[in-house]
Amino acid sequence: MTRADYCAVLFAALLLPYLYISQWTGDEAGVAASIMNGGQTTKVSLAHDHTLEIDGALGTSIIKIEEGKIRFTASPCLGKQCIHSGWLQHAGEFAACLPNRISVAVLGEEPRFDSINF
Amino acid sequence: MSGKSNSTTATKSGITMTTTPDDHLIAWLAALAIAIHIIESVLPSPLPGVKPGLANVITIAVFILYGWRTAVWVSMLRVLVGSILIGTFLSPTFMLSFSGAVASLIVLWLASRLPGEGLGPIGLCLLAAMAHMFGQFYIAYLLFIPHDGLFKLLPLLMTAAVVFGIISGIIVRSMLRHLDKRKNDTTTIINPRNEQEK
Repeated sequence: MTRADYCAVLFAALLLPYLYISQWTGDEAGVAASIMNGGQTTKVSLAHDHTLEIDGALGTSIIKIEEGKIRFTASPCLGKQCIHSGWLQHAGEFAACLPNRISVAVLGEEPRFDSINF
Repeated sequence: MSGKSNSTTATKSGITMTTTPDDHLIAWLAALAIAIHIIESVLPSPLPGVKPGLANVITIAVFILYGWRTAVWVSMLRVLVGSILIGTFLSPTFMLSFSGAVASLIVLWLASRLPGEGLGPIGLCLLAAMAHMFGQFYIAYLLFIPHDGLFKLLPLLMTAAVVFGIISGIIVRSMLRHLDKRKNDTTTIINPRNEQEK
């Protein structure tokens, strides 16, 4: 191996940790969340801590916002999938209570496509 | 190579085609690369975009033995003919393969400009594999999946590129050593073109 080879290997050895650290840590924190109730969408900021009570198809779901995070704390559904989704804080995270027809999606700075299919 | 390494003239239905030893060399090497490319395309891949890239072993070996221009020919012919034979010509797969090949050829060109003893097979393969990955990743991001989430895959893809790059570098190195030994044993002419490149 020549000296340039060692430089190339060193470059790769430095680049990989950099990529892992830059891409896999420090997710974009959500700044707002959109709450869908039936067909109706409301946007809420995550900056202030508060609790929302939303009347859905079955009853009242309680959604809590705290320290820039949002979660379902109560819902009149059977499975409680929405509550088990836990705290959502990164842009793109999502929880839904399908029986009550309420969903919560965290929004980032700029909305983008999920994906494009051909 | 084929025995007839001098200029050959083939006449068929009025069309005359003159081939040079260069053409024969490129055709043989490209055929080898295409065969590897097709065999590799049957292998299952754990993640889209991750492939051992063994066909690039031929590209790098050609680059070292015959220079950059021949490597461009072999690499481009492999991407083109390989995709036509597999049936992915002009599909997203082809675009990714093509952009990766172009990116690694650019890196090889830069490497050929390096002063001193320059890069050996392992460094060349490593950098070419990483450039290949960056090239196809960027085109995938630009054309097919313009979503920032794609960048989450980059560390994994790059790790695969580094690992497979080093492995193909080791393959190229032992291949060249083998060729060198044969050259010394039987005075087989490896480079019919000698000082034309470099």
